[in-house]
Amino acid sequence: MNKHLITTLSVGLALQFAVSATPAFADDNAEPPAAAPARKPNKLDGQPAVRNRLLLVKGRAELTPLFESTINADFRHIVGGGAKLEYHFSDMFSVGVVGVFSTSIDTGLVKKIVPTLPMDHDPTKPREPTRTEFTQHLNSMPIHGAAYVSLTPWYGKLAAFSKAFVNFDFYFQAGVSFAQLKSSCDASICSDQHPGETTTNAAGDPVPPDDNPNNDAPLNNGARVGLYLAGGIHVFLKDFIALDLGVRDYAFSDNPSGADFNADLAVKKEDSRFLSHLFVGFGVSIMLPAKAKRTR
Amino acid sequence: MAKPKAGAGGAKPGSGSAAPAPAPGDDGGEIEMGDDAGSGSGSGSASGEGEIDMGAEDTPKEGDLNADLAADGGDGTDKPVKGDAPAPKLGDYQLSWRDIVTVIRKPFLKLKRTELRAMAGTTMNDNIVRHYAFGGELSYYLTDVLAIGLEGQYYQHQFREPFDLVARQARRLPTVNQYNFSGALNFHYVPVYGKFAVLDKKIVTWEVAFTAGIGALQSEVVPRDKRFGAFKSILISPNVGADMRFFLFKSLTINAGIRDYIFVDKFEPVNRSESMYPTADEAKAHADTSLINNVMFQLSVSLWLPTTFEYHTFR
Repeated sequence: MNKHLITTLSVGLALQFAVSATPAFADDNAEPPAAAPARKPNKLDGQPAVRNRLLLVKGRAELTPLFESTINADFRHIVGGGAKLEYHFSDMFSVGVVGVFSTSIDTGLVKKIVPTLPMDHDPTKPREPTRTEFTQHLNSMPIHGAAYVSLTPWYGKLAAFSKAFVNFDFYFQAGVSFAQLKSSCDASICSDQHPGETTTNAAGDPVPPDDNPNNDAPLNNGARVGLYLAGGIHVFLKDFIALDLGVRDYAFSDNPSGADFNADLAVKKEDSRFLSHLFVGFGVSIMLPAKAKRTR
Repeated sequence: MAKPKAGAGGAKPGSGSAAPAPAPGDDGGEIEMGDDAGSGSGSGSASGEGEIDMGAEDTPKEGDLNADLAADGGDGTDKPVKGDAPAPKLGDYQLSWRDIVTVIRKPFLKLKRTELRAMAGTTMNDNIVRHYAFGGELSYYLTDVLAIGLEGQYYQHQFREPFDLVARQARRLPTVNQYNFSGALNFHYVPVYGKFAVLDKKIVTWEVAFTAGIGALQSEVVPRDKRFGAFKSILISPNVGADMRFFLFKSLTINAGIRDYIFVDKFEPVNRSESMYPTADEAKAHADTSLINNVMFQLSVSLWLPTTFEYHTFR
């Protein structure tokens, strides 16, 4: 009985399915529906854009010795070398750190200004810095770096001169930047202990500020923490070696000239402002393990 | 029975073993595609006895590069085909070598097309004054990789932070020139092309073009002392650069690149005063000169004419 019931239900369901699955215009004599038939699904719909693709970064660590230089620095170019260490959790997502040791080179602007400045103070021009005052207020950046997360949304292939066919990807990074700034102003130069403040002398009389920012401490050294943004491209020469070209912005509070910015005639912390420090970098990435997997 | 899609694989409709004639140069052999539905790299797929469903509804829209790519792409079941496969049975549908797309053709042709480019740019390497440039370029592609073009740009300038800082902190007034307009005859060469996938979903094709050109630029002195007149100079300006071009449609691309405009600029004399070179002509006659590399970052949008193109080679 139960078996007969199950058979009957099965046949009924099958018929119901067949009827519902049959298009209304299956009968040649029947009128087609007024509405246009639905678009036939393309077999490629929902399929990956690329099959059998080399997974050049997924599950791999990336070690990149690199060279970096500022772009369009105001007073001193920062040029140095360092390394980037990154781990790619997936094809698109990775985390890493980058650190660079640098030296400083005066920009063309500084080279033009300094020769025009006096060697010694001219009493008739109290606001004019001497060469030493100007240069000793400038800061440098011996160490900088960042910790970041990275997104690699684009990857592809390119052909160069119809000869070289290489893989590449574009990446974007965001994170926290850090920098060690350095300035060294001699005590004989930066002699004002209370810039912009009214003090008292030994007799207890008030002494007004000297309104001379050139003898104030530059206040532009020490550690800084800020924002890090970057973008770049990997060009894979081999499965485990890639050229890494990138633009990186380490943004943090700084006063590169070490001079009075807000025109209050004294150098204070308020003269620092949040500034971009834009670098271009070039490196060679070594991907580990050396053998890359492929997608299906 | 579905009809074959025109131009999407070259397979003939009908049933039976009517195989397409071998293409010139083919060895005349036919390929046994086996029982794999949808074998081959074309958009067609065997669907039933002697029938092939080429997906007539999937005809690419005019100007849609992605639709073209999808039509060219395979279904991911690429398998090696043996040349000594057994003879086909009656009723089996056969494909020839020419139906198999191993390397898709370039999705965008530039040969004998005109590019109308609207562009905007900004200075990258001047820490005193930043110029914003707006302009256009008309280029004609002699081949798919070589083009000749005419460009024109209009400039607006903006002083950067150091311009004021140097005056206030170092008591020095920078010597600055502004650029008014420029024009150039350019030659473009496209040695690099490629494609990339965005988020593993969408494929975008792109290329890299190198540019070299020669032109002229008008430079104008910004007097340190406003009492004195400015003077203008027309300067010969070669330029070199590189562009990345991203293909969006058959008639539209977007571009990003860097261009270095090189010229010997004439600056206001450092010792200009009421008693020395007060007039513009005198100052120009005694101008200080300096070699300038005006490196600009440029973004542009290009309209291509004619708005579509035809392939003249086999797929």
